[in-house]
Amino acid sequence: MQKFSTLFRRYNTWALFVVYCSTSLLFMKLQQDNTHIRMLHGAIEFTAFMAEKLTSYSYLFNMKKENDRMMRVNADLLSRVLILESAAVDKRNRQKILADTTINASGFIIAKVVDRKFSDRENMLLINAGWRNGIKKDMTVLTPAGLVGRVSAVSEHYSKVMPLIHTDFKVCVVSDKSNSMGVLSWSGGREFIAQVEHIPISSSLKLNEEMVTSEISTFAVSGIPVGRVVRIKPDKLFYTVDVRLAVDFSSLTHVLIAPLKPEPEKLEMDSDNAANEQLP
Amino acid sequence: MTRNIHYYIIALCITCMVQVFGLSRLTLFNVSPDAVTIFLVFISLTISQRAGMSFGFAAGMLVGIFSGNMGLNMLARTAEGFLAGFFHIPETSHATTRQKTKLLYGAILLSGFTGNAILAAGYNPLGLHPVYRIVVLGLLQSLFTMLLAAIVNRLVLKKSFLD
Repeated sequence: MQKFSTLFRRYNTWALFVVYCSTSLLFMKLQQDNTHIRMLHGAIEFTAFMAEKLTSYSYLFNMKKENDRMMRVNADLLSRVLILESAAVDKRNRQKILADTTINASGFIIAKVVDRKFSDRENMLLINAGWRNGIKKDMTVLTPAGLVGRVSAVSEHYSKVMPLIHTDFKVCVVSDKSNSMGVLSWSGGREFIAQVEHIPISSSLKLNEEMVTSEISTFAVSGIPVGRVVRIKPDKLFYTVDVRLAVDFSSLTHVLIAPLKPEPEKLEMDSDNAANEQLP
Repeated sequence: MTRNIHYYIIALCITCMVQVFGLSRLTLFNVSPDAVTIFLVFISLTISQRAGMSFGFAAGMLVGIFSGNMGLNMLARTAEGFLAGFFHIPETSHATTRQKTKLLYGAILLSGFTGNAILAAGYNPLGLHPVYRIVVLGLLQSLFTMLLAAIVNRLVLKKSFLD
């Protein structure tokens, strides 16, 4: 026993180091825990509050009002454009009946970007709308120019947005002319170029075609512009396509948040399929 | 130490806030200087390795709450404090200010690089190549932090490193 206590006294710094490391690893494991999430929500509120205060000093009051008015006008215009585009796509596909994914942009929520971090340690946007404003996790965030990202965490008055230029972000896209479908993701590098994968080599995709969100997407409303094809590189089975993103992430001030797609049955089917695939 | 612990805790909180709300926005080549590392190294050098580690653990928790990666930040900051502790300068040391300053920069370089490597291994939001992220950006970050440390050293820390 004495030996043990001598040993412990001699190496107590190491023991403490091990305890701290174990606790840290435990916290990493418990990242999804409710208490942890509540703590994070509080931190989002505080961070956003501070960031908003810091930026508001340089923000001219009149410009803010004008911006808000312009955003409302933009929201109206966007709703019309999206509905028209969606209708045009449907017509081209000889689908006479309007699908229930037709965008009703009157439910869009306007929010201001109060903080933005783009570094090797953090990559997110913070907007000043939370669950009190009707924001829910996984809602689509967009601007009149195109898709911005998806809501990743929501607190009472603020939400965190995972931007399209995040390595964990993926969305189903379709080209407006050739109807080629693929999965868009961003794999680092230039912040205005993203990649589309899984487009079969047999498809007739051309340069400069516009990519819009697909109906297949589990979270994004269909018909939102994402970008234009700037490079097509054929591989063995699929094309690797570079898309120049429609949204300029460096100058985002306001965003729109689209309502969630009410497709519980589809999600259920997807999860069933995933479960079946795991079977041998 | 016991008498000053309150001051150190307040200083830790202020440093973390400055880092989260100020310095983390001063990015160049996607990296920013890290004031928390400087603080932890200072604690480890002047007080003890255990103190550096404990402050690192608390700093990781504070910074992690705001960045959303609490566990990873705690691990990285604890490791920073632990490694910096190997450069600890005892009170009875006869080292000159110059030698102590060298130890400070050495500790910052090692701790900063290791902390960054741990964070890089656990979280890579920009999808950078691991080698580039760990080696190039790690070194760049350490250099930025050293640059900041040089300024802080001239203004504040030098008093603690007098012969």
